[in-house]
Amino acid sequence: MEKTVVKIDNLVKRYKDLVALDHFSLEIKEGEVFGLLGPNGSGKTTTINCLLSLLSFDKGSVEIFGKQMTPVSYDIKREIGVIMQNVAVFDEMTVYENIDYFCGLYIKDKAERKKCVEEAVKFVGLEDFLKFYPKKLSGGLLRRLNIACGIAHKPKLIILDEPTVAVDPQSRNKILEGILDLNKHGATIIYTSHYMEEVEQICTRIAIMDKGKKIAEGTTDELKRMIKKSETVTIDILHIPQEVLDEIGRLPHAGEVEYAESKLTVSFLGGKHNLIRILDLLQKNNLSFGRVYTTLPTLNDVFLEITGTELRDKED
Amino acid sequence: MFLHNFKYEILHSLRVKDLLFWLILFPIVLGTFFKIAFNDIYEKSEQFSTVPIAVVETSEDKIFHSVMDGIEQSDDPLFKVTYTDGDKALDMLKNGKVMGIIRIDEGEKSLSVSGEGIEQTIIKSFLEQYAVQEQIITDAAANPQNLESVIAALNSEVKANETVPLTEDDPDPYVSYFYNLIAMVALFGSLTGLHIAMENQANLHPLGARKNCSPTPKLVSLTASLLGSYVVQAVCVIITVSYVAFVLKIDFGSRLPLVYISGILGGILGVSMGFMVGSFGSMSEGAKTGICMTVSMLCCFFSGLMVANMKALIADKAPWFNKINPAALISDTFYCLEIYSDYDRYIEKNITMAIISVIFIVIGFLLTRRKKYASL
Repeated sequence: MEKTVVKIDNLVKRYKDLVALDHFSLEIKEGEVFGLLGPNGSGKTTTINCLLSLLSFDKGSVEIFGKQMTPVSYDIKREIGVIMQNVAVFDEMTVYENIDYFCGLYIKDKAERKKCVEEAVKFVGLEDFLKFYPKKLSGGLLRRLNIACGIAHKPKLIILDEPTVAVDPQSRNKILEGILDLNKHGATIIYTSHYMEEVEQICTRIAIMDKGKKIAEGTTDELKRMIKKSETVTIDILHIPQEVLDEIGRLPHAGEVEYAESKLTVSFLGGKHNLIRILDLLQKNNLSFGRVYTTLPTLNDVFLEITGTELRDKED
Repeated sequence: MFLHNFKYEILHSLRVKDLLFWLILFPIVLGTFFKIAFNDIYEKSEQFSTVPIAVVETSEDKIFHSVMDGIEQSDDPLFKVTYTDGDKALDMLKNGKVMGIIRIDEGEKSLSVSGEGIEQTIIKSFLEQYAVQEQIITDAAANPQNLESVIAALNSEVKANETVPLTEDDPDPYVSYFYNLIAMVALFGSLTGLHIAMENQANLHPLGARKNCSPTPKLVSLTASLLGSYVVQAVCVIITVSYVAFVLKIDFGSRLPLVYISGILGGILGVSMGFMVGSFGSMSEGAKTGICMTVSMLCCFFSGLMVANMKALIADKAPWFNKINPAALISDTFYCLEIYSDYDRYIEKNITMAIISVIFIVIGFLLTRRKKYASL
């Protein structure tokens, strides 16, 4: 049976009248890449800070590796690597010195530390920047340094709080690949983000948060199965009469039907052979069409259907 | 963990350009400016004691000649006399080699000067005084029975008051400016202390959050950082004092080692004060730096580093404040050395500085001991 690495039970955190975490519970198993997905202000970072015992909370409990997490749980902290949302490095120290410093907070032995630092440098691909000061690094490289500082001591549990914010696509891919690699080497990962594509790409299980509450939890497929929408069919078509549009709307399982800028978009709530039925109807009405494609529901659709608002709408 | 933190705190502090500017470069530049400004005054002081003059004798005046010889041969001669003829004397006056020409013609003495200044005034005053005394003696000679007592009276100097030195060494009035400079460097240490407090608190700095997530206890991390900062601060004070003493050649006399000790203790007090200020509340780094600088400046202001009689005013209205004001304590230790040579008082002030440093550190630790924060 898989061990439980993190157990959050009924956590409540209030900032005066604002409820930041509303009876939030979570269980993360060993070896998982667990995604906490939600718009800004949904409570992801608050959850992480409570988990790390940095923030006090009003109610509930946090257990890591089967033990109650407290600010003086140094044995637990030794096994955790944290990559915060804000880059936390010393501007006056080089790349190597920064990694060595933070690694040294966990590992006393010099030789062991040296090995760990070198491996971390290689892992994030900063070999050519060892003597650089952080101010000389690009945004992507700085994020990589931030990650190296958090994982150099080879933690069993790695918490990454929005590590790809303001990072170029190349560095983002490198970071995501690195996270999967860390997981392959046995680390359990908690990954918070408001980028649903990233979460879908790397997480084995996801919890979607909104207004301090967990609104859904499961694998990507499980989450998508929770909603009615099964697929969206899009067809490039120059002209379509209103009566045909009405007819499409009456097809089995058809949901919303939209026609704008020579694009017909139909979403289906379940059902099979939806695309074939539309194409038959168009041919029957002698309507010629161009490109045809279908898209499966995204986590944004899950969020939209559960909360009634777009995940992306809330990002900024 | 402790040594690791200690090493990196020193490395980090030595690379913070702002700190190095305020703790090393600024006092060196300011000290150099002081030296340049005071040098002019020093040189002028030197010139007071030896005013070059020319004496042109068209007739012999043995008494005057012997008086001038006596003045020239004294330990601290007032005049450097050149006996010459009228033309050469005039050339010397024009070239600035002498400040005045005294002409002696048939017992009459006249003075020629090329301008107005302290040196010219000295020569004029001397000549007037000489003329008055010569007249007294001449008048007394008319009554020879009184001549001896008149000459004795003229030779004796009557003093209405007596100068009693308080210090073993000869105090230099300008050294106090350099003492104030050292005190200022010591208080600038508060900036280092402020950084330590900020960078170890999760709610104030991202680095604090990262450190708080590590298994290194806060007490270890803070203690190592503070000790590292004390070392850096001590180095900065040593550099400043050494620069002032050996490069600018300001004479601290036999007190130099004690100046080092008090400077370092003052630095520790400054760092501790900054640590305590940085531990208060959850304001931004900029706001806290502003508070720290303001507190330092106010302490300096009330200790009289900016307005000379402020310290006396505080001593009169709120004497307790002078006893706890860090700037007043630092400058007091130096005044104990400079003005009073009072070692008991010096030791007492140093002990007070150490006690206040400990109080600041304890308050700082109590404020930062909190492990969990209500908000980040």
